[in-house]
Amino acid sequence: MKGPNVRALALPVVAALLVSGVLGVQAANGGGDFVPARAADPCAARTVSSVSKGIDALGERLVLIGLDGAACRLGVSREALVLDLAQPGEPTDAQVDAVRAGLLEAVDEMNADGTLPPASDLVDEALNNANLNGLLEFGIRALPDSVINAALKTDDVMRRAINSLDLRKLLGDLNDPNELTDQINAAVTDAVKDSLVARLKDLLPG
Amino acid sequence: MRRAAVPLLALTVGVVLADSAIVTLALPEILRHLGGSVAQVAWVLIAFNLMLALVVVPAARVCVHRDPAPLAAAGIAVFAGASAVCALAGSMDVLIAARCVQALGGAFALVGCLELLVAADGEKRGVARWVTAGVIGTAVGPVAGGLLTEAVSWQAIFIVQVPIAVLAVPAAMTIPWRPTRVVAERHRPAIAPNLALVLLSAALTAALFLVVLLLVEGWGRSPAAAALAVSIVPVAAFTARPLARIARAGPRSETAAGCLLVAGGLAGLALLPSANLAWTLAPQALVGLGLGLTVDSLTFAALRDRLPRALHGGWTIGARHAGVVLGLVILTPVFTADLRDAQVPASEAITALVLDAPLRAEDKIALAQGLSDRLAEERGRVPDLHPAFVALSLEPSERSAAARLERDLDSQLERAATQAFRDSFLIGAGLALAALVPLIPVRAPLRRRRRLRSAS
Repeated sequence: MKGPNVRALALPVVAALLVSGVLGVQAANGGGDFVPARAADPCAARTVSSVSKGIDALGERLVLIGLDGAACRLGVSREALVLDLAQPGEPTDAQVDAVRAGLLEAVDEMNADGTLPPASDLVDEALNNANLNGLLEFGIRALPDSVINAALKTDDVMRRAINSLDLRKLLGDLNDPNELTDQINAAVTDAVKDSLVARLKDLLPG
Repeated sequence: MRRAAVPLLALTVGVVLADSAIVTLALPEILRHLGGSVAQVAWVLIAFNLMLALVVVPAARVCVHRDPAPLAAAGIAVFAGASAVCALAGSMDVLIAARCVQALGGAFALVGCLELLVAADGEKRGVARWVTAGVIGTAVGPVAGGLLTEAVSWQAIFIVQVPIAVLAVPAAMTIPWRPTRVVAERHRPAIAPNLALVLLSAALTAALFLVVLLLVEGWGRSPAAAALAVSIVPVAAFTARPLARIARAGPRSETAAGCLLVAGGLAGLALLPSANLAWTLAPQALVGLGLGLTVDSLTFAALRDRLPRALHGGWTIGARHAGVVLGLVILTPVFTADLRDAQVPASEAITALVLDAPLRAEDKIALAQGLSDRLAEERGRVPDLHPAFVALSLEPSERSAAARLERDLDSQLERAATQAFRDSFLIGAGLALAALVPLIPVRAPLRRRRRLRSAS
C-alpha cells in the first residue's frame, strides 16, 4: 500500500525540487533585477565629465549640471526632462524658467568648485570661431593672459549669456545643431561685449 | 502503401497540430512581406486555433456516423490545398482566410486519423500514436517554423506541409474501418481533464508563443538562434515519457508534476537574470518536461473508455485549441501594454547613457537624433539601434567608447523587453497552477458520502 502512495508523491516532489532549484539559481544570479536602469535623482550631486575640450567641454558640463538643476526644480528626472524637451512643440514657461535657473546655478557651482576655466583659456578658440577684423584679432591674441582675465570674468560672461539667451527659441531648435550654435555664439559674443563695457564703466571715475 | 499509412497518418496529426504555433517565429517576416498591423498578424495565429477549436467537435460528430477514411482524406486534402494558398498569399486577408480553411480541413484530418489509427493498430496503440504525434507536433512547431523561416522563407513553412499531406490522402484510404459500438454507447465528455487541458494549453501559449517573441523581437536574436533555443522544449517533452514510465507514478501524479513543472518553468522565464539564451534553457526544459507529462496524460484521461472515440478526441483537440485562443486573448493585451509601458523606462535609461557617454558633445547630439529616428521608424517595436551608430562619423579614439555605448543601449532594450514579458509569463504560471484545480478529486468523497447515506 505504501509503495504506490510514495510513488504517486515522488513525481510531484521531484518536480517541486527541480523548480525550486532552477528558480533558486536564477534568483541567486539576479533574476528579477534584470530591468532597465533607473534614472538617478537629479537633486543629488552627480559627477559630470566631458571628453571634449575648451568651450565645448565647458558648454557640455554646464548643460549637464544645469539639466540636473532644472529637473530637480521641476520634480522630474533629468532624462524625462530631456525627452520632454526633445518633443516637437514649444517648451512650457515652467521648463524655460527651470532651465535658465539650472544653468545659472551650474555657473555658480562650477565657479565655486574652481572648474570654470579663466577667460584666457577660451580666448584662442573663441577667436577662431569669431569673424573678427584680422588686426583686432591679432591685437587680442597679443594681450597677456592676466589682462584678459582681469577684463573678462568667465562666470560673468556665462551669466550674461544665459540671461540673454532666448531659451524658448533655443529649446525649440534642439534638432538643428547649426541654429543652436548660432544662437549660443551670438549670446556669448553679446555677453563678452556687455561684460567688457561693464568693466570699462567700473574703471571710469564717477 | 499500407505499411507506410500509419506513420504517415501520425505525421499528419503532428503537422496539423504543429500548425497551431508553427508561424510564431515567422510573424515578423510575414508582417514585413504582407504589410498590415501587428493586431492583424496576430490573427494568423488566432484564426487557425479558433477555427480548429470551433469545428473539431462538429467534425468529430460527422466522423462518428460515417466512414472516417474518406472524411480524413478529404480533410487532409483541404488542409494541403489551404497550406498551398497560405504559401502563395499576397495579402494578410488571404493568409488569414486560408488559415481558417486549413483549420477546417485539419479538424477532419485529426478526428479521422484517430479512428483510422485505432482501426490499424488497435485501441491502445492507436490512441497512443495519435496522442504522442500531437504532443510532439505541438512542441516541435515553433522550432520547425523558425528554422524554415531562417533557412528558406516563411512560405516554406506551408510548402513543406503539402507533400506530406498529399501522401497521407491515399494512405488514409488504405485503412479499412469497421464501425464498433458506435450507436450503442455514448459517454459524456470528461469535463475535468478537458478543462485542465484548456487551462494548461493557455499556460503553454506563454511558453510556446511568447518565448520566441521575446527572443526574436525583444532580444533581437535570429529566428534560427531562437529555434535552436526553444528546441529544448520538444527534447524535454520527448524524455518525459520514458521518465514517467520509470517512475510509474500514475496519470494523476504525472499531471500534477507536469502542471508544477510548467508553472515553475514559466516563473523561471519571468525571472531571467540576463538576456543570455543559456538562461532560458532550464526554464524551457521544465516546461517541456511538464508538457510531455501532462498533455498526453490528460488526453488519455479524456479518451479512456469513452465512446464515440472520435468525438472525445475532438473534445480534447477543441479544449487544447480553445486554451491556446484563451491564452492569446489573455496574454496578448497584457504583453503589448507592458511593451508599450516599457518604452518610458527604456527611453530614460538610453537617454541617461547617451548624456553621460564619453563622446564629444556634437556626436552625442547626432546620436540622439539617430536614435530618435530609429524609435520613430520602429513604431512601438523594439528598435535596432545599430544604424544610428553606423551613421556617426567618429574620431578613431571614440570608436571603442561608441561600441561600448551601443552594447549598453542594447542591454537596456533587452532589459526593458524582458521586463515587459514578465507579467505574461507569471500569468501563464498561474494558469498552469489553475489547471491543477479541476484535477482535485472532489467527487470521490461525495460519492463515498452518498454511498454511506444510502447504506444507512
